[in-house]
Amino acid sequence: MDKNKILFIDDEEAILKVLSISLKSDGYDVVTARSGTEGIALFKKETPGIVLTDLKMPGMDGIEVLKRVKKINTDAEVIVITGHGDMDSAIDALKYGASDFINKPVKDEALKIALERAREKLTIRDTLNSYTMDLENMCEIAIGEVKRKSVFQDKLITSSNDGIVATDEDGVIIIFNPGAERIFGYARIEVIRKMHFQQLYPEAITEEFNSGFRRRRGKKGWGWKEVIIKNKEGSEVPVQFSGTLLYDEETVIGSVGFFQDLREIKRLQQELVNSERLAAIGQTVARLAHYIKNILAGLKGGTYIVNIGLDKNDTDKLKTGWNMVQKNVARVSSLVADLLSYSKEREPEYQNCSPNDIAQDVCELMESKAAENEVEIIREFDRSIRSVSMDPNAIHRSLLNLVSNAIDACIYDLDVTKKKHRIQVKTKLEDNDTISFEVKDNGTGINDEVKAKLFTAFFSTKGGKGTGLGLLVTQKLIQEHGGSIKVASKTGKGSSFQMRLPYRKIS
Amino acid sequence: MAKKVLTVDDDPDISAFVKTVLEENGYNAVIAKNGETGLSMARKEKPELVILDVLMPKQSGIKMYRELKSDVALKNIPVIILSGIAKRTFLRSQEALTEFGDLPVPEPELYIEKPVEPDELAEAVKSLIGG
Repeated sequence: MDKNKILFIDDEEAILKVLSISLKSDGYDVVTARSGTEGIALFKKETPGIVLTDLKMPGMDGIEVLKRVKKINTDAEVIVITGHGDMDSAIDALKYGASDFINKPVKDEALKIALERAREKLTIRDTLNSYTMDLENMCEIAIGEVKRKSVFQDKLITSSNDGIVATDEDGVIIIFNPGAERIFGYARIEVIRKMHFQQLYPEAITEEFNSGFRRRRGKKGWGWKEVIIKNKEGSEVPVQFSGTLLYDEETVIGSVGFFQDLREIKRLQQELVNSERLAAIGQTVARLAHYIKNILAGLKGGTYIVNIGLDKNDTDKLKTGWNMVQKNVARVSSLVADLLSYSKEREPEYQNCSPNDIAQDVCELMESKAAENEVEIIREFDRSIRSVSMDPNAIHRSLLNLVSNAIDACIYDLDVTKKKHRIQVKTKLEDNDTISFEVKDNGTGINDEVKAKLFTAFFSTKGGKGTGLGLLVTQKLIQEHGGSIKVASKTGKGSSFQMRLPYRKIS
Repeated sequence: MAKKVLTVDDDPDISAFVKTVLEENGYNAVIAKNGETGLSMARKEKPELVILDVLMPKQSGIKMYRELKSDVALKNIPVIILSGIAKRTFLRSQEALTEFGDLPVPEPELYIEKPVEPDELAEAVKSLIGG
């Protein structure tokens, strides 16, 4: 549309000519038509910004021209020329959207002003249009950007593997992503704007969040920690939780909590524990089977020798065989006793006894095994120890285990310097109503790897000759007696096992 | 004159059992309770067969076996390994020692895993040195 182009329609050629010249001299581009019909055709062709039309014309009159022009382009300015005293038509014209009217005879001045006004209107409308257009464009761009960001954030939240739960400043949940759905078992629509975080979070977190909400200032967030939440079905779900309050300046505007599902991790951990336990049971059974197989071999061997002795009436053979049978029966009894005391809780049975006598008895029992293997047992008993109330059986069994181990440590010592093997068995009265029993040897010693496994069930360094129960049972007896056991050792130098047991005074 | 067999085992039960089996089958049994005495008895007694355990204190059967088979005067004495450990484990330990620079030694004439039945042991001895 050309603002400078005027379409001038009048059935009087004289007026057309005169005014056209005058308008052209004012800088307008003028096209003329002598009838309404011709005018409309020209309007379509030339797209003028302003139409100047006489109202009274034969055929299509000015009002009709006005209507049609407005129908083709509402933005076109139409000025109507009215005859003298034809005010009604002028008002009609304004009603149909004419921008102005001037009276006949047309005065140059009046026309100029009307045209100026029309042109101004067009300019203003143009500017307005472009403003509007710009505004719309900018709006669209801004909306697009906001949308993009929001979609991005939305995607970020929904695609997160972790559960994300956000609330407004009142604690009402406004974000609940699929991760949270998986952990809590609720669907988004059940939660968003319908539930308060207190209904979902475990008590400990709820309290901390609430205090944060009340304080307005202070603690902002909580680092990762493991908590248990209850899901929709009421089952407990272990999660790793981290959360923070959201502030706008100093004011709390909401909160957000992040939840990592630990169920899979816990399941894998459990599986690992189970498989380790199965492996341990396997080892245990294999070791026990091996140990029992050895005993069985001894029993079979003994029986064989007894049979030969019977056949030949050979007393020596009978004795040897019978000894073997008895010894291996004793091994079975001892294994069963160890297994029982390992597997059962046992209360110490306090009796009046003399600890030194017990130690003496243990040394005497082990004397022959020690002498056979060229090991000397040295007794260092504290004479100030009197009769006390303790569990003599527990002391006896523990001490016997320690001395027997010490002899083995000497027997299995591969030291080539032919050192003299010695075992010291010491008793000592200590403060706090405690008696210390120490067994010290100069045998193989224990390396750190073995030391770490000393009190592990069924661990043994003695091949098929140990059950791996001795020290474990010893430790258990000592603990049940309220005492403690301490190990010091150096590879190649020997070991010291010291047990401290509290006693009761004889009442 | 009965053939002499040396039994080396730290477990007196096994020694007594093996000794009885041997004597029942007409052999003369001598006993040592570790590798160290075992080796010196082998030199002194000149047995026709050695029955050897592997896991023993003082000197293990692994080491005694090597010394036996490296000694010009003793290496032709056949050896039965009678042990609670598997043959595979014993052979691997010998390979390992060879890798560490010792001279290679031949495999034992027989390897019996414990426990052993009297008849099985008697047969084994008979197959190596005759009745």
